[in-house]
This record gives sequence, structure tokens and C-alpha cells, in this order.
Amino acid sequence: MAANFWASSHSKQLLEQVEVDVVPQLDKDRGVTLDEFKLIKVHMTNYIWRLAQYVKVRQRVVATAVSYFRRVYTRKSMTEYDPPLVAPTCLYLASKAEESTVQARLLVFYIRKLCNDERHKYEIKDILEMEMKLLEALDYYLVVYHPYRPLSQLLQDAGLPDLNHFAWGIVNDTYKMDLILIHPPYMIALACIYITTVLKDKDKISWFEELRVDMNIVKNISLEILDFYDNFRVIPEERIAVALNKLRVKM
Amino acid sequence: MMSLEASNPPHVGGGEEEESLSSKKIVDRYLKGEILGEGTYGVVFKAIDTKTEQVVAIKKIRLGKQKEGLNFTALREIKLLKELHNPNIIELIDAFPYKGGLHLVFEFMESDLEAVIRNRSIILSPADIKSYLQMTLKGLAFCHKKWVIHRDMKPNNLLIGSDGQLKLADFGLARMFGSPDRRFTHQVFARWYRAPELLFGTKQYGAGVDVWAAGCIFAELLLRRPLLQGFSDIDQLGKIFAAFGTPKPSQWPDLVYLPDYVEYQYVPAPPLRTIFPMASDNALDLLSKMFTYDPKSRISAQQALDHRYFSSMPAPTKPALLPRPSPKGGSLNQKPPFDLNEGPAVLSPPRKTRRVILPQREGGLEGILNGADTTTDERIRKLRNTGDTAGQSGKMPMSVDNSALIGSGTAFRPTLNSVDRSYLKRKLDMDPEFEYSQ
Repeated sequence: MAANFWASSHSKQLLEQVEVDVVPQLDKDRGVTLDEFKLIKVHMTNYIWRLAQYVKVRQRVVATAVSYFRRVYTRKSMTEYDPPLVAPTCLYLASKAEESTVQARLLVFYIRKLCNDERHKYEIKDILEMEMKLLEALDYYLVVYHPYRPLSQLLQDAGLPDLNHFAWGIVNDTYKMDLILIHPPYMIALACIYITTVLKDKDKISWFEELRVDMNIVKNISLEILDFYDNFRVIPEERIAVALNKLRVKM
Repeated sequence: MMSLEASNPPHVGGGEEEESLSSKKIVDRYLKGEILGEGTYGVVFKAIDTKTEQVVAIKKIRLGKQKEGLNFTALREIKLLKELHNPNIIELIDAFPYKGGLHLVFEFMESDLEAVIRNRSIILSPADIKSYLQMTLKGLAFCHKKWVIHRDMKPNNLLIGSDGQLKLADFGLARMFGSPDRRFTHQVFARWYRAPELLFGTKQYGAGVDVWAAGCIFAELLLRRPLLQGFSDIDQLGKIFAAFGTPKPSQWPDLVYLPDYVEYQYVPAPPLRTIFPMASDNALDLLSKMFTYDPKSRISAQQALDHRYFSSMPAPTKPALLPRPSPKGGSLNQKPPFDLNEGPAVLSPPRKTRRVILPQREGGLEGILNGADTTTDERIRKLRNTGDTAGQSGKMPMSVDNSALIGSGTAFRPTLNSVDRSYLKRKLDMDPEFEYSQ
């Protein structure tokens, strides 16, 4: 999808960091902190990733699914929209939107395989019901742009096509953050290239300068990615369990 | 498909079901009206948006019996229409789930281009045709700019609003393109509008397939009947080659590499003028560019808009002044008597009375082109004369029955009307909505 990003609904829906980092009131009432809110999102991103490996879909389907997931929680609470159900449903919806449909039956099978928790054993009808709710929550905007394509093009342009694999991995990791909701995809791609050039000791300062983009933003995104690597390298299972249990408190 | 079709009449004065529907408000905003017809995957009904006072068409997609949630086709349409906002593309105003169905709210469209083309009481002047084609191409150029291929261009999917604006609709087959090496299915478009590269099974194609179909629609506006009415994929190619000649390798170098390539017996290209005797030179030039075989050298929608056909006289008619069928439920008083017992959307039978039949059918195209005693022009003039006296509607613009000109497959005349087509389409989609209609 090499379509024009700036004319897309995606570009019009970009948010500020402060708008994304808001714990919905209902979740706040249950004592969920911003850290826990972020933690659950990281955990569920990983879950979508693992499910995707079983049902075998392309990278961009996963990326779209995660984008839907994160977008939903800028508008809805985790209390009302149960993350363990929303996550696979996002994958289901994204697979349709990206034209590589995964059967709900198959998804349900792997959810059962991956989840030991009895409460998370969903039926097909649960997924289909949630699909409708998600469509509404997303206001039916389904087209999402990703940094993968600009990444390859920019690396080609910079004369570093051999670093594609490495940079691609960093792009994958950016989906564990909310960057896709905040920055245009090519800026995220540039940040990933920036980190790559620094780590691989390539001097590309002049190339970056010629691009005429705001390098401050690129550096800020890069710093955020590095921060993430420092803080979220290991996610303790107990903390996830504590956070998810808070959501289940009856009030 | 939310067009109004006479062959799909509303259940007027209907039973209890209609009664209960008519006074129902959906989600406090829409006042439900009569059923307009049935699309590929749901019932379409008229409604009034109480918020804006606007008349809308609501397409209800039933989900109850689906094992796979929201229909894939519907999802495509929603996804793309949310991104495409243009005066020549149907607007998706709203969407909401209600009573086990997803409701899509579109702007209400009075008619469609098929109804215009088929309606014998409508005369299309060259300026009218230019206007309809221009609006079609504008919508198409916009889609292509946004990297969307429509893949189901046909008169029936070009809707006409009360202000005369033509809008592209039914994006259920449309998809985004532009990723190199992505493979698509070639089973798209109604056959008569399918580009030759699709018929030869290509999986990698671009916006050119829409341009070919737009060319077919242009031809249909001129002829008042579909130009290339093949009854199978092979026959479709035969019809194309009979009309435009078998492509030479110099015309289309990649042809032999296409997956389903088969060699066709060489047929030379007859002059386009024989098919479109009434068209202007500029119109013929544009047609030939839209019907260019090699998709790489086929004109783009934007280039077509910049073609001198559109800048030359006559200027395209203003949309509001275009002739169009009277809206559904509107006054029928001015209708000519012969139109009363046949709906404007009936495709096949009424045509025969106004079509000119070639005197020597066996002769086919060769007979016309290589006629020993008469020139083509004389033949055509002769045809026109016969038409004037034989046809009931002398005031209709004359057109030569092209299938009589082309090939020997003339005996077969597809009598697929819109009811049949929506039936087939529904069957193919295995839409549970189908049962609902009975």
C-alpha cells in the first residue's frame, strides 16, 4: 500500500503523546496505573504476535492488528473492552482488512492452545461480537500505514540495503509502543534507521541532513525507542497478572 | 448496489412487514422508508436522516447466520469508502450496528447509468455522453490517485444523484494496489467489462483494468448497448479481437507471457468508425486509447480527462441538465406510451425493435468490410435508412447492431437482466441474505 499517507484517515487521526497516555476513567477507578496500562498493551502486543505466528499471517497484518488494538484503548476502557478478547479480535479484523482472512475457528483453536486461563477461552461468537464493537470503536477507519515500506525505500536511498533486516527488527519493536498512533510512519522508519546507523557505526549524518526532515523529532522518537529497550526488556509475569486482575474487580 | 431498478420494484402497498418498517426509527436518527432493492449482501432501504433532513439509502448487512462475522466484501467497501471522498464517489455517511446487522448509510441516489442507457425515451446527445464519461473518469482518476482499483466498473455501478452527479459505487471488489509483486485475482469485473489482460489470467495488473472498463462504458453510451457481449471468457476475447483486431506482438510484447495465453486466429482490426459511425473523431481517438491492448501503454484515467475530446466542442452538459429517468415514485405522466409496459432497466427484449439488423447476417464483418459492390459508408447509410422505417422509435439516435457486425456468435444473445444478475451474484457469494428475501 504505497498510497498517499497525508491524504489518509490515518494521518488525520494522529495524536499527541499526552493524549495517548491517558488511563480511561473506568480503569483508573479500579486502580490501574499508567505503567500498568502500558504494560498490558505491551503484553497483548506480544500475544497478538504469538497468535499470528500460529495462524501464519504477514507482518503487516500483525502491525495493523496492533495499531487497531492501541487505537481502541485511546477511546475505550480495558474494563469494558476485555484486552484478552480484543487482542485476537484485532488480529481477526486486521486479517480481513489486509486481505488475508484468518478463520475465526482457527483463531479460537490457538487461543485455547496458548491460554491456560479458563476465563480466556472464548468462542467464535465472542470474537464476532467483539468485531462489531471494535469496528464501532475504530469509527470504521481501517486503513493503517506502516513504516516497513518507507524503511526499505529509505535504506535503499541511503545506500544501506544490507541493514534492512536489522532495522526491520527495530520497526517490529516500535509496535510495543504507541508510536504508530503519534508519528507518521516514515518518521518512525527514519528513527529506526538512525538507531541502526549509530549501532552499526555508519556515518549517515549528511544523508539525514539532505532529507530536510525535523531531526529533533527523529531523535526524540529514537530516544523513546531506546528508553523502551531499557525499561521493558523483561516484563515480569506477576505484574501483568496483578494489572489484569485489577480490571476484573467488580465494583 | 443501491440503485433503483425497475426490475426490482419496491413492495408497494406491501404486507404487514412493510407497515411495521415504515414507521420505525432506527437508532433515533433514521426514519425507515420503503425497500429499494437487494444488493449483493443485504437489503437496501430508503430512509430520512432526521438530523440533516437528507434522504439516504441504508444498506443492511445481516450478520446473524454468518460464520465469519462481517462479510469480507462489505468490509472492503467500508474500508475504502472511509478513505475516498470525492464528488464522483458515493459517500458513506454513517455506519452502525443494529438488530443483528451492520447498517451502512449512503447518500440516496436516484438512478444509475444502466437505467439511463437502457431507457428508450432518453436521448443522449454527444454533450451528454461526454458529461457522463467525464464524471466517470473523474471518480476513477481520484480512486487511482489514492491507489485504489475499483475492479467492478459497469453502468449499473455508476449511480446518478438527484442533482445529476454520477458517482462510482459498489466498492465490494475494489482494493488497494501499488505494492510491487502483489498478486491479485483476475476473476474481477462483469465479463463484458473485463480487460484482455484479465481474460488472459494475469495476476499482476494495475489501474488500466478500470480504464478498459470505462472504455466499454463509453462505447455503451454511444451504442446504447454493451459493445462486447461475450458468453464465456474465451468468447469475450473473441469479441474483443473481432472489434479491435488480434493484438500483434509489437502492440503488446508481454502478451505471450500471460498465464492463460492462447493463440487466436489473426483478425485484422476493422476501422473503429465501422462500430461507431456517429462518434466524433476525438471520441474515436479517445476510445482507441482506452482500448489499447498493452496495459502499459493504455491511457490513464487522468490522461483521458486531459484528452482533447473533453476540451473540444461540444462542452460536456452540466450534470443538473442531463437527461435521466424519472425518479422512483415520481410522476409518470410525461412518459411515452410505449414505455409503460417495460421498465427502463430491462436489458434485452425491447432493444430488438430499435436495433438495426444487418440484412446479410452470414456475411458478418467481412461482408461489410470487403463488400464487393458497396462501400462501407453506403452499407451503413442503407442500414440507417432501414432503421428509420423499421424502428418504432424514429427519434432514437441510431446505432448499428454491433453483434451483427462481429463474428458468428450473434445467435446467442444474453438475456441476463438485473434480477438474474443479482440472483447469480448472491448465489456466488452464498449470501444468507438470499433466503431472507423469500
